[in-house]
Amino acid sequence: MGDLLSGFADALTPENLLWAFIGVTIGTAVGVLPGIGPALTVALLLPVTFRLEPAAALIMFAGIYYGGMYGGSTTSILLNTPGESASVATALEGNKMARAGRGAAALATAALGSFVAGTIGTIALSVAAPVVADLAVNFGPPEYVALMAVAFVTVSALLGPSLLKGAASLVIGATIGLVGIDTQTGQARLAFGLPSLFDGIDVVIVVVALFALGETFAHLVAGTGDSRVTPLRGQPMLSREDFRRSWPAWLRGTALGFPIGSLPAGGADVPTFLSYSLEKRLSKHREQFGRGAIEGVAGPEAANNAAAAGVLVPLLTIGLPTSATAAVILTAFQSYGLQPGPQLFSESGDLVWALIASLYIGNVLLLVLNLPLARAWVRLLTIPAYGIYAGVLVFACLGAFAAGGTIADLLVLTVLGLIGLLMREAGVPVAPAVVGLILAPLAEQQLRRALALSEGDWSVLVSSPLTVVLWVVVALALIAPPVLARRRRRVSRTREETSSTH
Amino acid sequence: MRPAVTDIEEGRPPPETPEVAHAEARAAGALGVLMVVGAVVVLVDAARLRDSDEALGPAAAPTLVGVLLGVIGGALALQSRRFLRTPPAGRRSLWRLAALVAVLVAFALLLPVMGYVVSSAGLFVGAALLLGAPHPARVVAYGWTLAVVVFLIFDVLIGLSLPTGPWGF
Repeated sequence: MGDLLSGFADALTPENLLWAFIGVTIGTAVGVLPGIGPALTVALLLPVTFRLEPAAALIMFAGIYYGGMYGGSTTSILLNTPGESASVATALEGNKMARAGRGAAALATAALGSFVAGTIGTIALSVAAPVVADLAVNFGPPEYVALMAVAFVTVSALLGPSLLKGAASLVIGATIGLVGIDTQTGQARLAFGLPSLFDGIDVVIVVVALFALGETFAHLVAGTGDSRVTPLRGQPMLSREDFRRSWPAWLRGTALGFPIGSLPAGGADVPTFLSYSLEKRLSKHREQFGRGAIEGVAGPEAANNAAAAGVLVPLLTIGLPTSATAAVILTAFQSYGLQPGPQLFSESGDLVWALIASLYIGNVLLLVLNLPLARAWVRLLTIPAYGIYAGVLVFACLGAFAAGGTIADLLVLTVLGLIGLLMREAGVPVAPAVVGLILAPLAEQQLRRALALSEGDWSVLVSSPLTVVLWVVVALALIAPPVLARRRRRVSRTREETSSTH
Repeated sequence: MRPAVTDIEEGRPPPETPEVAHAEARAAGALGVLMVVGAVVVLVDAARLRDSDEALGPAAAPTLVGVLLGVIGGALALQSRRFLRTPPAGRRSLWRLAALVAVLVAFALLLPVMGYVVSSAGLFVGAALLLGAPHPARVVAYGWTLAVVVFLIFDVLIGLSLPTGPWGF
């Protein structure tokens, strides 16, 4: 707790508060734009922080991250265009509420729920992270290989419509991750003799290409120009009744979101769907679900924010990103000269605690800023689609150029954008590709290290109890979904048969 | 509406309409074919690497990735093979896509010559017109303003040196 307090002392200087304020504001402004989720917001705005000193950059970055999350939920509610699968559950009831003229209440419960979940999540993070970091200090390459195998399997199984499509995305990401010089032997892989590919392809370029260019191209192909914004009536406020229905949902959402988010497995958006179905099951107003039930906004939104804090546990302590946003955060850390992992807390403790404190400050700023400013953000949604996407392209190219600095990076961006379009049209989720891009090279490195230590003996991979447990989890995650699906199909078939006989 | 609700309860986004599903299967088939082609490229590239004295050489990971690319891509293509025969819809939209790709490539090539502001304004105008902007003159004004503001913030204020044309911006 003392560390957290000194983090607050660092983050609460007037200058750093200003950075947090700017971060939250631009994060919300970009995150509010339709189709732009937190991962893309963070990737697009990364260049803004490049020239700041590390502490200020991290603080501003935390503001951008939380601002992007908040802006995304505003758009999901008012426009029904969730930028990431984690906001899909919020959009379900939130947009129904907005159409029924209760958009202000939906925004308020989302904002307050994010605040409650963010507060509890940040406290849980500051308790859990040092403990996990202590455990992780003893991890050797075999443990890392097993952890990454768990992440690979769960990311492809959970972050998408089907295991096959999730795996396709993951492998496409892994292929992009192969590009560049092999660190062990100095040979270029998949570089085709192009010097600009020797350093590999920057994560920011991949994220911007797959998310931003993919989205823009998809709009161009579909020819959709107009968006329907549901007008916002009244100030975002919660009536006593709304509050009474919201707060238990916030707490339940948080209780689901943080633990699931902090597992070293993919699927930070799973708790949002779990929370939605839990609220539906528990609600006394079940008939309102599908027509705008406030619990259906409060729960998933809290789960989303708590999971976002939870994802930081494996990221900061093990260096294991399990969501697209976490992958971008990892890159941001590296560009500030920090290497997430067990040593992070001992080596750059002040910075990490300042980051955690600024996550909390960002949370408070969002609450203070956004409830009164909701109308201003809604005005941003009335910018016509052509303006938004042309602007996004300008920022995408700026981000790619800032990350790589060469013309070749812009061409790579365009090619990857086309791949992103094809994936989007095929219903293949792009988030696993970003995770695969980061994790595959790390997994290769750890596997080679493990085998070098054991002099080629593969049994080193199951040399400790933890690794055995993790490999069992991998096997279960591979076997369980098809078995469950078959059983579910059988159940639904019998249900159909019984209903048709009536 | 029933199936959508059960899908949500099982933690999945809701499914789409049949037409969307059809277009999606066709795109999945195309992606599968592309992945198989990619698999060949990756495997050929891996075979060319010199082996090292490590237990696991530099070619091991690309070989594994290549095989997985081929298998998963092949499965995707097989799954949607009956949709691949139907002709793709929307020639015009493909032209628009090609035009936008051309605009992006032109931006990349002109950036060092023309400087950031002019190229970015051009990128904005080209993209906005292709996306269906109604007033070309207004779009030029917006694009020019955005490019100037971005240049002022990122180059002058933040110090990220952006390329300048012969006119210094």
